[in-house]
Amino acid sequence: MIVYRITNTLVGVSGLMLTRIDPRSPTPLYDQIAARIRVAVAAGELGPGDALPSVRQLAGRLRVNPATVVQAYRALEAEGFVEMRQGSGTFVREVEPGRRSQERTAEAERLVREMMAKAARLGLGTKDLVRAFKQEVGASG
Amino acid sequence: MSNVIETRSVRYHVGKSFEIRDLSLNVPAGSIYGFLGPNGSGKTTTIGLLMGLLRAHEGTITVLGQPVPGAAPRVLARTGFVPERPHLYPTLTVEEVLRYHAAFYTTWDWRRADELFGRFELDRSLRIGGLSKGETGKLMMLLALAQNPDLLVLDEPTDGLDPVVRRALVIALLDYVSQRDAAVFISSHLVHELERICDWVGVMDNGRLVAEMPMQTFKSGIKRLRVTGAPALVEDPPFVLLSRDTGETLGAGEVWVVRGWQTPMQQYFDGIGASLREVMDLDLEEGFVELLRTFRAPQA
Repeated sequence: MIVYRITNTLVGVSGLMLTRIDPRSPTPLYDQIAARIRVAVAAGELGPGDALPSVRQLAGRLRVNPATVVQAYRALEAEGFVEMRQGSGTFVREVEPGRRSQERTAEAERLVREMMAKAARLGLGTKDLVRAFKQEVGASG
Repeated sequence: MSNVIETRSVRYHVGKSFEIRDLSLNVPAGSIYGFLGPNGSGKTTTIGLLMGLLRAHEGTITVLGQPVPGAAPRVLARTGFVPERPHLYPTLTVEEVLRYHAAFYTTWDWRRADELFGRFELDRSLRIGGLSKGETGKLMMLLALAQNPDLLVLDEPTDGLDPVVRRALVIALLDYVSQRDAAVFISSHLVHELERICDWVGVMDNGRLVAEMPMQTFKSGIKRLRVTGAPALVEDPPFVLLSRDTGETLGAGEVWVVRGWQTPMQQYFDGIGASLREVMDLDLEEGFVELLRTFRAPQA
């Protein structure tokens, strides 16, 4: 049961991040990796004690410099999301629910800011966006 | 932190037509250093100098703490070198090439060689002359990694290879680096390939090193700005204005490409009665192209 859960989490995290890393983005790669993991923790996809992929695994999977993965894990450690244990790996720490919801809000805000910047480049205003958003939400809900 | 490769004021020329001038490279220990530049900019020549295959006319070269070409044999014993053109005997089989190569390196690691064989799906009984370009590329990388080097010098290791092989090579390289604290010096004109993996970049153009900095600095210093209401003539901007494009943006303003951008510089636009609508980041390729453009025409 426990084994199943860990494997499942690893596949989930790597799958999630594999599709989201964008080397051409101005956001540093380590930042992108850290952000994906932060969201996974915030959303409860990763629970306390879950192991993150090893640096070697993740660097290979994402095809990034291992130093970049280490930098991401260090950043997460400094923020209190994970704990790096010498020789055994990196594990998710207990994160209080308040912090988790904060992180979700922050991520949602980031997405909206990105979208607004893109829209401005195309000459679209806030009204156009809000209208499209409502329609989209209506259609899927 | 020390440098694994250091050159000081190196000059080298081939006849009168081409010259490497004032080359001062610094490759930090543990870094993956992307050596960029258009074809013919002097990348391969520089690598020849670093590996002791060519002799500089002026300046000094130090690799892994040893002078080159003086101590080249000692340097090469610790360096995995993939040259631009493979140098394997076509009549030997893959297995024979391995044994031949292994004999030169006291650090040779058969376990790693076997592991890479499986991963690359190479057939040991094939003759070198009959290998495809992709198979040759894999074999060259295998030879370089199996000697357990402290430094990898790769000259266009993926040039002309298909995406599947390119990916396999990059993954093998990263896997090696994450197990062992080796530095990588990799030249390429395939900018996107380097963007993912490098933490340092050096840019060559016409025999000169025109930029050398951490990847993140390189990517964040050059910006594209969207500006409206700017006067035709701008005076003394606090940044370097690389280019200014007034057309085709459909009323969305002009597009400026600038270097040395910092956020407080936004105030400059109030001063000239213009407004800054947006600051856009450039990716490595765009930054690379803009850098070469200004370097070649500083007045433009």
